[in-house]
Amino acid sequence: MKRLLALGLALGVVVAGCGGGGLLGGGLKIGMVTDIGQLEDKSFNEFSWKGVQDGASAVGGTAKNIVTKDIADYKQNIQSFVDQKYDIIVTVGFLIGTETTAAAKANPNIQFFGVDQFIADPIPANYQGLLFNEAQAGYLAGIVAGTITKSNKIGAVGGREDVPPVVNYIKGYQNAAQATKPGVQVLVNYVGDFNAPDKGEASAKTMIGQGADVIFQVAGLTGAGALRAACSAKIWGIGVDVDQYQSLPDSKACIVTSAEKRLQNAVRDGIKRFKDKGKQSGNFTNDATNDGIGYSPLRNLNPVPAGLEDKLKQALADMKSGKLKPVP
Amino acid sequence: MDAIATFFRLIWELGVYLFTVVPDLLPIILALATPLALGALCGVLNERSGVVNIGIEGIMLMAAFFAYLTGFALHSAVGPGASIALGILVAIIVGGLLGLAHAWLTVSVRADQIIAGTMMNIAAFGVTGYLNRLIITPSGLGGAGVIAPFHLPDAVANLPIAGPVLVMFFDQGPIAMSVLFIVIALQFALFRTRWGLRTRAVGEHPKAADTVGIDVYRQRYLNVILGCGLAGLAGAFLTLESTGSFQNGMTNGRGFIALAAMIFGRWTPIGAFAGALLFGTATALGVVVSIRVPEGDLGNIMRSIPSNWYAALPYLMTIVILAGVVGRSTPPAADGVAYVKEGKG
Repeated sequence: MKRLLALGLALGVVVAGCGGGGLLGGGLKIGMVTDIGQLEDKSFNEFSWKGVQDGASAVGGTAKNIVTKDIADYKQNIQSFVDQKYDIIVTVGFLIGTETTAAAKANPNIQFFGVDQFIADPIPANYQGLLFNEAQAGYLAGIVAGTITKSNKIGAVGGREDVPPVVNYIKGYQNAAQATKPGVQVLVNYVGDFNAPDKGEASAKTMIGQGADVIFQVAGLTGAGALRAACSAKIWGIGVDVDQYQSLPDSKACIVTSAEKRLQNAVRDGIKRFKDKGKQSGNFTNDATNDGIGYSPLRNLNPVPAGLEDKLKQALADMKSGKLKPVP
Repeated sequence: MDAIATFFRLIWELGVYLFTVVPDLLPIILALATPLALGALCGVLNERSGVVNIGIEGIMLMAAFFAYLTGFALHSAVGPGASIALGILVAIIVGGLLGLAHAWLTVSVRADQIIAGTMMNIAAFGVTGYLNRLIITPSGLGGAGVIAPFHLPDAVANLPIAGPVLVMFFDQGPIAMSVLFIVIALQFALFRTRWGLRTRAVGEHPKAADTVGIDVYRQRYLNVILGCGLAGLAGAFLTLESTGSFQNGMTNGRGFIALAAMIFGRWTPIGAFAGALLFGTATALGVVVSIRVPEGDLGNIMRSIPSNWYAALPYLMTIVILAGVVGRSTPPAADGVAYVKEGKG
């Protein structure tokens, strides 16, 4: 009896903790399935969801999300939106791509969007991958780091080496820093975890001990720890994905800029394209040409080094025209 | 023969490498070890008095959340310093209250102690995740502020040998700094005071303790609440001293590694602290080896090992330690056994 009481208490609380999404009105029904983890990841789940909400209010639809707890649940989560006759299903993350392809083939009347999913041929007519050129965004961060470093040593803290977007950001960063200031040394560390701020802090502190004076983080919450270490050592930090000067107020004092990947806009625009032009297919790359990547306003630099803004604008223009390739 | 010589040379190089790297790592190690050490002390206090508590993970998470919430809500009203101090206080109180709940379930109601702890973990994950989505995320703000670490003057930090050790313990925020003192105080209290003797008595042989007039229930309640207050402090460390933000499930298994540190330390405060430092060292080395790779053959070998293996180092160590490298460690005799007073129950 007592055990039952205890278990009952626990279950009651868990049930209260579940359940997602809000309803916004009539019209198109838009569902989003997140990658494993949580909606509040301060990164792609959270900002894709904001994009879905923006898109829903732009086209006058309703939005709902399902948070995936386990890889094994991808299929079921997509299917539950299919069963409820949703018009658009957005899936988030590289790993859920296979299940999304299968669902798109089986349900030609539903539009699918896949954030960070590259779709191989044959591409279903109702499935569009939303990709980002992270190397370009990383390149912009590298220009900033290469310009402001005084010690000629800069660092990058990555989440996992087997996640292509992370590696792309860092490659762009390395190349730009070396092109901006020849001979600069770039310390790179993949911590192997997106959810361990203490490890990020340990990693950044070690780089700082080696003389690095700019730290670029591409590691989610792990990276938040890296930026904290940068701030407490009074050196510069560079954020990732969104303007982290806004999203990480505790590191406001040292974030000079962030390499942005405009997830929210990309998802919102995808939904609008569907509303205006019907079924969307193929791989849609968000890069310099369509303002899909960029850098956040420069901050904390007093004064901003002469010519830095110009260099960044020039690089953006050259990437737009195709003259500059961040990763040769 | 050559192979053996090479092997010994590599071992030697590894020793030299560790000797050069570890002093720089000391402050990082203590910071990584702090939540583990506080969690392990919670385990020591609980189990020494006969109550198994596997809910340390959940208690840490709950305390971390409420500490953050307090700091976050009062930040602009009372200023950063006071809001953080209040946040820490709230964390300790939340830990103590959850300890009270655990004590009620295990001591008074005599529920299964493992189930009570599991419930704590599951409930904490749900409650904090739900409230995080309800309160913190929509505000679009973050930031309860963090405690600025204290910095030793360079003259002291550069002292040979003593310098790095002083930096380890004093180039820290207040919670990490206090751990050493809490460990020493508890070690003394547990083995040199009346309270300590009574605690060990109710954990080893509650019936004997009862016959000489020690109130077993009262002693267990007290220690579970005290211990869980320390786990609460560990939670406050995570949000208010270490990261400055709250993330769902951010304790990430630390409560369980703390239990491993407790077993490693054979249920003594100093031993548990040593265990926590060992895990802290493994984690720090896992991160650092790929940034500071040594020259020569050793460097080549270390470079060829995938980074995932380094990241897994602390977990591998947990398995090795729990599998018995430390030898037979014997828990208190009445650990995990509810006490039924004769004539009651």
